[in-house]
Amino acid sequence: MKRCTTDELQAIVGRMPTTRDEDWKYTDLTRARDISSRWLTMGDGTPSSVLDEEIQRITESVEASWLVVANGEIRNLATVSGVTVDKLDEAPAGHHALAELNAALLKEGLRIVVEGTIDKPIGILVIDGTEDTSVSQAYIEVALANHSTASVIEYHASLGDADQYANTVVSLVVGDGATANHVRVQNRARNHVQTGRTDISVGKDANFRSAGFDLGGGLIRNDIVINISNAGADVSFDGLYLAGEGQHIDNHTRVDHRVGPAISKQEYRGILNGKCRCIWNGKAIVHEGADGTDADQANHNLLLSDKAEIDAKPELEIYTDDVKCSHGTTVGQLDETSLFYLRSRGLDREHATQILTHAFAAGIVARAPVEAAKEEITRLMEARLARMIQTDDNFSS
Amino acid sequence: MATESENLESLVNRRYEHGFVTEIETETLPPGLNEGVVRAISARKNEPEWLLEWRLQAYRQWLEMEEPEWAHLHYPKIEYDEISYFSAPKSDDDRPKSLDEVDPKLLETYDKLGIPLHERARLAGVAVDAVFDSVSVATTFKEKLSDAGVIFCSFSEAVIEHPELVRKYLGTVVPRRDNYFAALNSAVFSDGSFVYIPKGVRCPMELSTYFRINAANTGQFERTLIIAEEGSHVSYLEGCTAPMRDENQLHAAIVELIALDDAEIKYSTVQNWYPGDENGVGGIYNFVTKRGDCRGANSKISWTQVETGSAITWKYPSCLLRGANSVGEFYSVAVTNNMQQADTGTKMIHIGPNTRSTIVSKGISAGKAQQSYRGLVRVMPQAHGARNHTQCDSLLIGKDCGAHTFPYMEIKNPSAKIEHEATTSKISANQLFYCRQRGISEEDAVNMIVNGFCKEVFKELPMEFAVEAQALLNVSLEGAVG
Repeated sequence: MKRCTTDELQAIVGRMPTTRDEDWKYTDLTRARDISSRWLTMGDGTPSSVLDEEIQRITESVEASWLVVANGEIRNLATVSGVTVDKLDEAPAGHHALAELNAALLKEGLRIVVEGTIDKPIGILVIDGTEDTSVSQAYIEVALANHSTASVIEYHASLGDADQYANTVVSLVVGDGATANHVRVQNRARNHVQTGRTDISVGKDANFRSAGFDLGGGLIRNDIVINISNAGADVSFDGLYLAGEGQHIDNHTRVDHRVGPAISKQEYRGILNGKCRCIWNGKAIVHEGADGTDADQANHNLLLSDKAEIDAKPELEIYTDDVKCSHGTTVGQLDETSLFYLRSRGLDREHATQILTHAFAAGIVARAPVEAAKEEITRLMEARLARMIQTDDNFSS
Repeated sequence: MATESENLESLVNRRYEHGFVTEIETETLPPGLNEGVVRAISARKNEPEWLLEWRLQAYRQWLEMEEPEWAHLHYPKIEYDEISYFSAPKSDDDRPKSLDEVDPKLLETYDKLGIPLHERARLAGVAVDAVFDSVSVATTFKEKLSDAGVIFCSFSEAVIEHPELVRKYLGTVVPRRDNYFAALNSAVFSDGSFVYIPKGVRCPMELSTYFRINAANTGQFERTLIIAEEGSHVSYLEGCTAPMRDENQLHAAIVELIALDDAEIKYSTVQNWYPGDENGVGGIYNFVTKRGDCRGANSKISWTQVETGSAITWKYPSCLLRGANSVGEFYSVAVTNNMQQADTGTKMIHIGPNTRSTIVSKGISAGKAQQSYRGLVRVMPQAHGARNHTQCDSLLIGKDCGAHTFPYMEIKNPSAKIEHEATTSKISANQLFYCRQRGISEEDAVNMIVNGFCKEVFKELPMEFAVEAQALLNVSLEGAVG
């Protein structure tokens, strides 16, 4: 459902951020722009013939009440007690080019409202699969009423060899005293581009736990923006990115502490092997008057190949004095002594590497707040690690 | 204890004591910048044609550049046409050959500053090349240095006496168009210091320059060039004070350090330019480009700075670690109070194999001051075995101040080991309580905690600087107590 003329749309595409913007210094969206411009002249292509199969496979792999957005269209609206699900015809007008693009091209948006305590996780599968070049939008609003509890799994996947660019906008509102557990799994095809922005607003004495897993994709950019404007909020979010084979994965996080006391903790871990580039940019802003803020950022990276690059930037902006803020970032390799130990026990280098990288990543999986998703995440992570290590020349000896 | 911390209360509200103006007739170019001004500066200094050409190219490049806006700083636009780009003490023709010949009024100025040049120099064994506004007027201990083969003179003198060295190294670390302020400096630099340490020589004394801004409306554009030949060692001290004045004064300096094989340069700064008053009126704009090039294998460059002054500081002393096994260090204490703003940090560029760098940055922000640490650690693909450790801590004193960190890490080699840690906190009630219950007054306690916070950096300073630094630190931490 295009709301603008093609010229207007091309103009929005032209306004997409470039590497001249400080926030996009390391991520070049030229590919996304090219795909979008080309697609605007062509229109939607044929859906992939195996799309349904893949949807079935994924929704059966994790026990959840699934809602599916396929090629930008909502497939099924599960009925769950305590949860109201609506289709949205439009998304709010965005204040930056990617949100503008989302609002202009959105076919169907999704609104989920949770009241009370929901035991079974709500799964949202955003999947794209076409035979030809495609651009798709997803807009999802999730609102947890005051004192409610729910788990949400966001699963992003894609199929096909054709160029694809997916742009998602997610808004998550956690009411006063509510508890939200959130897991995001991104396992798009290796040649696809995705930009995603998630805005989270956390209520008074509310809890927000989250973990994001970037296991696939070609060019991936995630923006997570958390707004704490009520006292007593407790926020913790983690991330894991596994990259190789020409992948580019960029995680930008921003936490705005507007009122204290409140806690925010984040830990991102990355394993990079083969030709790839990962970016982690964590920003915590403690605004004037947000006394009693406790903000912590951690980012740890394993760099296993001389073709890999990591750009890390932990930022703190603090405008009041009653705070405790810290960040720690490390970049390193596997410990040679540990490798030697395992090899002295008869494991080959590849196997030993797998064990150690697995151990490095496993902590993030173990802390993932949605139990039902862990098995699938572990399976995907192990497969990804095995492939990353096998396809790398460093381990072929 | 009492002596150490009488400071705080009394110093908190202390006026800037170096604020006075020496009335000496100065020959000053009218405000404004154009090619004519560049030519006039060059002609005034009897510079060779190549240097004039170099300045003019810088000026033309500057015209095409834009003033950077990315720093976390807010200040009114600088009117470059309202600045006078040259001011020199009169009677330049017969420059003093010894201290006796120095204008007594000048010596008086140094006395007021607490730097009795001759005494201090002899007692401390420090050679002082004092820059009074734009021209060096006194240099001591030259003979002792020349016995060792060390060249330590004003930049203008070096251009005349050692043109081959200046020409070979000038602008090789900070290119003319490196940044907006570097281009400006390259076009109109007034004077500065030049140091050359020959092969295998350990400089027999610590070299020191005191800078001083004096004439009103005159920007200072020092240029310092230090070359340490193979196997040599030098420790250089830079310190500055400025008179009290209500107009912002632009200070855009360049410091270039070159360390060849096995050479070591230690560069220490105590910066105490006039910071402006409590309402942010006046004060120095300090936009400095400092960069060291570890060109040779096993070379080492170490920056240590204590920054307490200036209304605005924009400064990133950096190291290019080109030589194999070269080492870069950055130790910094920055204090901002009242309306001061600072955006400072360092860049460590790892290029050669097995290069190491250490960054320790301590920021203290009080009053309504805003302070940012901005740093870059870049490991190039060929820099095998690079190692970096960064520690950057901020201490907040008061509700209205800010402390920010923007560290960039760009790692393109898998053998790199990079660690970055940062913390931000205020003086904890527990720490204060602990001191108080042992009978230490609140002022003393705060003083002790602040000094402890900075200890890691102070221990890197040469002895005589460490004392000065400690005293400076205790100045005007308003709002620290209570």
